[in-house]
Amino acid sequence: MIHAGYEGEIRVFAEYERDFTEGCDVAVVGSGPCGAVVARELAHAGLSVVLLEEGPPFTPAEFELDGARWMAKVFREGGLRATRGYVMPTLQARALGGGSLVNSAICVRPPEFVFEQWAAGYELEGTSRKDLDPHFDAVTDYLGIAPTPDDVQGPRNLLFRDGCNELGIGSEPIARNVRGCRGSGECFTGCRNRAKQSMDITYVPDALRRGAKVLTSVQVQEIESDGGRVTGLRGQVVAPFDGARSHRFRVNAKVVVLSAGCMATPVLLQKSGNLANRSGQVGENLQFHPGGMVTGVYPEPVNPQFGATQGFQSLHFLEQGFKLETFWAPVTAQALRFPGFGHDLKRRLAEMPRAATWDAIASCHRSLGTVRAGKGDSLEPKLHWRFDPEDIRVMGRALWELARIHFAAGAEKILPGVHGLPEELHSLEEARVLETREWKPTDITSGSTHVFCTTRMHGDPTKGVVDPLGRCHDVENLYIADTGIFPRCTSVNPMLTGMALAHRTADTIRDRL
Amino acid sequence: MPAGTALLATVVALALGGWALWRFVGGYPAARGFERLAPREVAFLRAVGDAMYPAGGVPRASGTDARIAEYVDEYLGLVPAQMGVLMRLLFFLVEQATILFPAPGRGGRRRFSALTPEQGAAVLDGWRSSCLPARRLVFTSLRAVLTNCYVADPSVLRDLRLAPFDFETPVLEADLLYPPIGRPPAEIVHGQADLTPPSDGSPLPLDGPLHPAYRAPEAP
Repeated sequence: MIHAGYEGEIRVFAEYERDFTEGCDVAVVGSGPCGAVVARELAHAGLSVVLLEEGPPFTPAEFELDGARWMAKVFREGGLRATRGYVMPTLQARALGGGSLVNSAICVRPPEFVFEQWAAGYELEGTSRKDLDPHFDAVTDYLGIAPTPDDVQGPRNLLFRDGCNELGIGSEPIARNVRGCRGSGECFTGCRNRAKQSMDITYVPDALRRGAKVLTSVQVQEIESDGGRVTGLRGQVVAPFDGARSHRFRVNAKVVVLSAGCMATPVLLQKSGNLANRSGQVGENLQFHPGGMVTGVYPEPVNPQFGATQGFQSLHFLEQGFKLETFWAPVTAQALRFPGFGHDLKRRLAEMPRAATWDAIASCHRSLGTVRAGKGDSLEPKLHWRFDPEDIRVMGRALWELARIHFAAGAEKILPGVHGLPEELHSLEEARVLETREWKPTDITSGSTHVFCTTRMHGDPTKGVVDPLGRCHDVENLYIADTGIFPRCTSVNPMLTGMALAHRTADTIRDRL
Repeated sequence: MPAGTALLATVVALALGGWALWRFVGGYPAARGFERLAPREVAFLRAVGDAMYPAGGVPRASGTDARIAEYVDEYLGLVPAQMGVLMRLLFFLVEQATILFPAPGRGGRRRFSALTPEQGAAVLDGWRSSCLPARRLVFTSLRAVLTNCYVADPSVLRDLRLAPFDFETPVLEADLLYPPIGRPPAEIVHGQADLTPPSDGSPLPLDGPLHPAYRAPEAP
C-alpha cells in the first residue's frame, strides 16, 4: 500500500494474491537494526531499494504482556531455540524491526581496545574506533541515543549504581535509543509507551518516505548468482506466526545486502550453493556473549517492575572479559531465576518485589561453535556451541563481582543460580566460592541474545567471508550487514556497532553504484 | 546375547515405545474443555502443577487454580509443532519415569499423576537435585514451562504486586502505516486525526492503576 507523504510502498501478508517479481538497485534481506540502516541510507541516496522481512509489522495492539505468549508470537522457533553441545537458549525475532522491537535498546560504543584486537587479529584496516566514530555519530544522532535519566531508573537500577560506588567500581547510566521512557520496564514485550526507537517506527518508515519498497511476510530462500555475481533473490510469502508458505517471488537486484542476522545469513548462503564460502568460514566461529545472573533480595521494596528495563552498567571489567548490567524481563522470565519448588518456591516468589536481578555478559571469544543449515527446506539453523573452560572461569569471576555489588548495595541475600551452591547465599564469605571454584559448563545456567562472527570479516580472503566494508570477498555485489561480520565479539552489547558498520556499508554501496 | 536376539529385543522395544508415544501424544482424543491435551496429560499437569505450586501462602493460587493445564493447552497451539511434541515428550517422561526413579513409600512406581502429593514432591526433588546434568535439565525445563503458565495468571501477578501498569499508548505516524497482523491496509486502525504527542517521559506512578487485564474482578 502507498501512504500519503511516503514515496515508497509497504506490503503486508493480506495483500499478496499471486506470484510476483520486483526489480531494484539494492535488495536488503532483514529489517533489523543493520538492514534498516542500510535501506534508509540508500533510499535517501536516491537508489531504488527493496527491503524484505519475513515477519509482520507489530502494532501495540498485538504486544503481549505475558512473556511466554509474546515469545511464541515474535520469536523464531516459538522462542524455544537453543544451542546443542552446551545447551543455551538463544533468540531471534521475526518481526518488522527485528531484534530492535524486543531488545532493551542498549547502545554502547566498544572501547578502542576492541577494535585494536580486530585489526591485529584479523588483518583489518579502517576499522579503528576513530574510523567508525562518524558512523556511530550518525546513528546516535538519528535515534537520539542518550544516557538513561535518573527519574526513570527505579531502585532496581539505582541499587546497582550505589553498590558500584560503594566498592569503587566504575558504572554509568546506559545510553539507549529511547525518547520519553517512562520506566514501564516493557522493552522486551514491545514498548507500549512507544518510547523505544525501534526500527519499525524510525528507520523503516524513513526509508519508505524516500521511496523504498518494504515487503513484509516474505521469506528469502535462495540467493541467485551467475558468473560470480549475484543476480537476485527468490523465496515465498509466509503467513504470520504459522509460517505457511504460499506465493513465490523473485527480486532482481544489482546489489544484495544480507542482514538476516548471525544465525540466518549463513544458512541462506549455505542453501544457495554454499555461496561466498571459498574461505570455508561461512557458519564457523559462532560466538556468543553468554549471560549469567545473580539476584539480590533486599530488606526494602525494590518494585522491580518499575524502571528502565536495563538502565545501569559497568564497563569496569571489560578488559578482564565481562560487562555488568542491570536487568529486567517479563515476570515469567524473572520467576525462572527463583530456585526450588513447592512452598519454598512460592516463598521465594513472594520476595520478588524486594528483588533485583543483574547480569554479566562474558566476552567468550574462546568458546566457538557453528551454524549449519537444517535438512530439507527448513531455514532454521542447527547451532552447536561449546563453553570453553577459561571462559567459564571468567563467568564465575563475573558472578562473584555481581554478588559483591549486591551485598555492597545492602542485599540481605543473593540467589546465585549455580548448581552445586546453596540456593541462597547470605554473606560475601559464602559467595566467595563463585570466584574460587572450578565450575563445569553444566553448573552455570546461561542464555544469550548477542551472536557473532559466523560470516566474519578478515583482510585475508582465505580466512574470512567479507572485507572491512562488508563486501563478500568472493562475490563483488553481495554484502553482509549484521553482527555475523564481527571478527570477534564486541565485549559490549552489539546493536550500535552493527548499525555503525551497516551505515558505512551503505556509504560504500552508494559510492560504488 | 546373540545378535538375533538383540535385534529382536530392539525391534520389540522400539515398537512398544512407538505405540506408547502414539497412545500418549496422539492416540487419545483431547480432554473435555481442551483442544490438544489428552486426559492423562491434563491429569499430569494438574498433579505436577500442584506439586510445583501448592495452594496456600503467597501467591495464594495453586497450579490448578492458576489454570496451568489450560494455559499449556493454548500454548501448544502457539509454538511450532516440533516444539510442542518435545514439550509433550517432557511431560510423558516425568509422568512415566517413576518406573526408573520411584517415589519413596508404597506404590512409588505408579505414574506421577497417581502419586500422593508428598511422593510427587519427593520425585520432583529427585530431578532437581540429581547429580546427572540431564536430569537437572529436565527439571529446569519442566519448571520453566510450569512457571511460565503459573505467573501468567492475573491473580498470581496481583498477589506478587507485579501486575503491569495501565497507561495511554501514544499514536505515532508509524502507527498509520501498519494494519493489524493478517489484515489488509484498509483496516489500519488509526488515521491522522488520532495522532497524539509522543511520550513526555514522566515516570509512571507506582500506585497507578493496573492494566485492565490484570485488575481484580469486581465483587458481584
